[in-house]
Amino acid sequence: MFSKERNFALLLVSPGLLVLLITTTFPLVYLVWSSFQTINLGMPFLNGFAGLENYRQMLGDADFWFSLKLTGIYTFSTVFLQLVFGLGLALLVTQIPSGQWVFRIVAILPIVLAPVVVGLFWRTIMLAPEFGILDFVVRALGFGAVNWLGAPIPALVSVIVIHTWQWTPFAFLVLLASLAALPPDVYEAAKIDRANAFQRFFYITLPLIRTAVVIVIIMRSMIALSAFAAIFAATRGGPGTATEILNLYAYKTSFIELNFGYGSALAVALLVITLFVSGVLFHMRNARRG
Amino acid sequence: MTDDKGRIQLRGIHKSFGDFEALKDVNLDIAAREFFALLGPSGSGKSTTLRVIAGLETPDSGTMTVDGIDITHAPPGERDVAMVFQNYALYPHMTLGENIGFPLKMGGVPKRDIPGLVRDAAKRLKIDQLLHRRPGQLSGGQQQRCALARAIVRKPRLFLLDEPLSNLDAQLRLDTRVELKNLHRSLDVTTIYVTHDQEEAMTIADRMAIFMDGEIVQVGTPQEVFDRPNTVKVAAFIGSPPMNLLPATLDGHRVTVTGSGYSFELPKAPDRTSGSVTIGIRPSHIHLAETGLSTQLFLTENLGETMLLNLRFGEKMIKLRLPDVRHFDDTEALHLAFDLDHVHLFNSQSGRRID
Amino acid sequence: MATARHRSSALRRNILLFATAILVLVVWAFPIIWAVIVSLKSEKEVLAYPPRVIFEPTFQNYLDAIFGGLSIAPSLVTSLIIATATTVLTIIIAVPAAYTFARLDLRGKKWLGFYTLATQMVPPVGLVIPYFLILNKIGWLDSYQGMITVYLTFSLPFAIWLMVSYMEDIPREMEEAALLDRANRFETLWYVILPQVRGGIAVTVIFIFLNAWNEFLFAVQLGGNTVRPVTVAMYNFISVEQTLWAKLSAAALVAMLPTIIIGIVAQKWIVKGLTVGAIKGGGRL
Repeated sequence: MFSKERNFALLLVSPGLLVLLITTTFPLVYLVWSSFQTINLGMPFLNGFAGLENYRQMLGDADFWFSLKLTGIYTFSTVFLQLVFGLGLALLVTQIPSGQWVFRIVAILPIVLAPVVVGLFWRTIMLAPEFGILDFVVRALGFGAVNWLGAPIPALVSVIVIHTWQWTPFAFLVLLASLAALPPDVYEAAKIDRANAFQRFFYITLPLIRTAVVIVIIMRSMIALSAFAAIFAATRGGPGTATEILNLYAYKTSFIELNFGYGSALAVALLVITLFVSGVLFHMRNARRG
Repeated sequence: MTDDKGRIQLRGIHKSFGDFEALKDVNLDIAAREFFALLGPSGSGKSTTLRVIAGLETPDSGTMTVDGIDITHAPPGERDVAMVFQNYALYPHMTLGENIGFPLKMGGVPKRDIPGLVRDAAKRLKIDQLLHRRPGQLSGGQQQRCALARAIVRKPRLFLLDEPLSNLDAQLRLDTRVELKNLHRSLDVTTIYVTHDQEEAMTIADRMAIFMDGEIVQVGTPQEVFDRPNTVKVAAFIGSPPMNLLPATLDGHRVTVTGSGYSFELPKAPDRTSGSVTIGIRPSHIHLAETGLSTQLFLTENLGETMLLNLRFGEKMIKLRLPDVRHFDDTEALHLAFDLDHVHLFNSQSGRRID
Repeated sequence: MATARHRSSALRRNILLFATAILVLVVWAFPIIWAVIVSLKSEKEVLAYPPRVIFEPTFQNYLDAIFGGLSIAPSLVTSLIIATATTVLTIIIAVPAAYTFARLDLRGKKWLGFYTLATQMVPPVGLVIPYFLILNKIGWLDSYQGMITVYLTFSLPFAIWLMVSYMEDIPREMEEAALLDRANRFETLWYVILPQVRGGIAVTVIFIFLNAWNEFLFAVQLGGNTVRPVTVAMYNFISVEQTLWAKLSAAALVAMLPTIIIGIVAQKWIVKGLTVGAIKGGGRL
């Protein structure tokens, strides 16, 4: 490469690179550093170096393990449901000859709404006792009253439903596009080879959209692990800690209990888990490709 | 038209990509205004050489001069070189007119002069009616003409073509070949043409360089290369159908084809006196005889006015071109004799020509 | 016999499709439609039990949301400033950087790519803690410059990563042709590359803007009374005593109006962006 080029390249890339490096690396370093400190804005006299104390505390913290469990349940169920519903809908809608655009518009709306707004909507107009429309319909149908957001298990189910509601259209749209890109001649060959619809799905469709499915899993998992606003708006992590996934637990510890040191440690734990999960998923994806 | 002649010299060009040695010591002299072909199979280094000449690759070592001026390290825009890419590389978001005018715009030609020059170039390539269209709306042949127009509009000192015909269908290829030759004659610019199609190079080049494995193995006019290939590989590459190559033994004047009783005496004694050799003989230089090399007919190809016979000799297949069409029984046994004036001898180890 | 079976199975099929269609529309469109209905009710009407579908609609809630005491109008302005500034700055920095990454051979390019991808995986809570502490120290809490800087940190890597993939789709020969046509790198970028990645830039702009507009965690923690984007302003209508449903719905719909409009108008671009992101892996939203 000519030296003029190199200078030009450096000129173009340095502002972006600089900003990128500073603004992403620096806070991460700060976060890890904080996790080794006691930083308590409520009781500043405790501040100081803490070594691994925060992490030791974390391992012995029942709330932490419970939160971790919740995170696992939340992530797994939302991703699974999004995939199943998204794929099922995509398969059905693909068969509709015209008017697919209606579905695309309906699917776009939940995605572009702010998660906090979605959480608030569900908390108020959908699930509020007596006045929420969903609650009303369920009672009217004779299923009795359900404390959607006030009892631990229904609350967990509710936030899972909310997240799934908002993001299934994402999986739907991606898989719809993926299905549309499949070559029709492969199906014609299969029909001649006397494969029925079920077989065609298993042996042709599934393998061909495998890449898209894996990517959807990866992307949705990342989002589920870091979900915050919708749960915050709907339950604040409650009742008690029934919906307090690790994200929210770290938030509560830092900004409500003002224990930033421990909160940082929790955040670092979440980061490690996220990197680990994505590493595993990426590895699986690349292994399949090769 | 510049007064510069466009004489090119490459000396000692080396280029590696990682572990792969694309060019090993390439030396070349191209005369001004020549139509020069770089011919060779895929991966032989011909395209890399072209890109070095264009300035798109910098050689690891070696020099390149144009009309005596060393431009080895000059950037592409400063070499006064125009290039037509294999996939044309037209700017899809611009009209043909804008595509052709782009080099003028970049070169600082005054705005009011550009439309005229564009129209002239377009007219020369018969696409002046299409100037308002976009490349995506045109056929392959029309896109190629646009790429050509964009190249000639600047009246460059050097004109580079990278396999320009490979994306055209067979008939269009033949027609365009002729047009390219015409274009060269009217423009009178040094043209360097890369191709893997030996027939193409043979028909339009003034001279050619044959590349094999990153080196130039022969330079010459089409006739020279056809009549006296330097190595076995060149011999097998040039001519269609390609030259027949058979192992033989040499003893003074006498050549005996290995694995047969057929032997003959060469009119001239070669430098080497004896040993194993490879002989080459073109399909059109073999005739049927009463006695000679004994073979068995495998397949006949009727070409209308002539015939190609595929004959089995041991493990090998020999091709013979017959000047007329005859009938043969399915797997007749036939004897072949060689035109002794046209037998080529090659060293059986190195593959180099012996004489 | 076969035709009769075919016909009935075709009918069954159509019914199934129709039923699915209705189900999908109900499940996903209904909450939004209901929000619109609620927003047109008076607060008293909202509390009517059982909830009524037929009533006298009123636009009072919308007027209150924009002009009333709890107005979200200032927040709309705040969100507009932040989202627009973030988007513009991101594009200005990201596009040249992406071109450089995509085209010119810099050593360590691969590592930068991985790094960019990895930064998108950091959970926001992991970033909001240090940002809070840092901004607190330099006095940039509840300030526009602080907020925009923070928004840039999650917009830039994503934008660069997206643009790089769009630029890599352009064949190298296009630029080589431009170079031979005597264009320098600037001219090549401006005349040849940018027009062809127009679509990519549009998608990136849409995603950056949407993400910035809808952001909540950073907005609520790093903002305050001066910087209060619409996502936080929702809480104007929620207090310990009561939640003003109808006003909340109206305000929320007004706040989401830009995103809804973008969603409907740019629907094709968004889907394209999602699928590109899907094929190359990663990405927010």
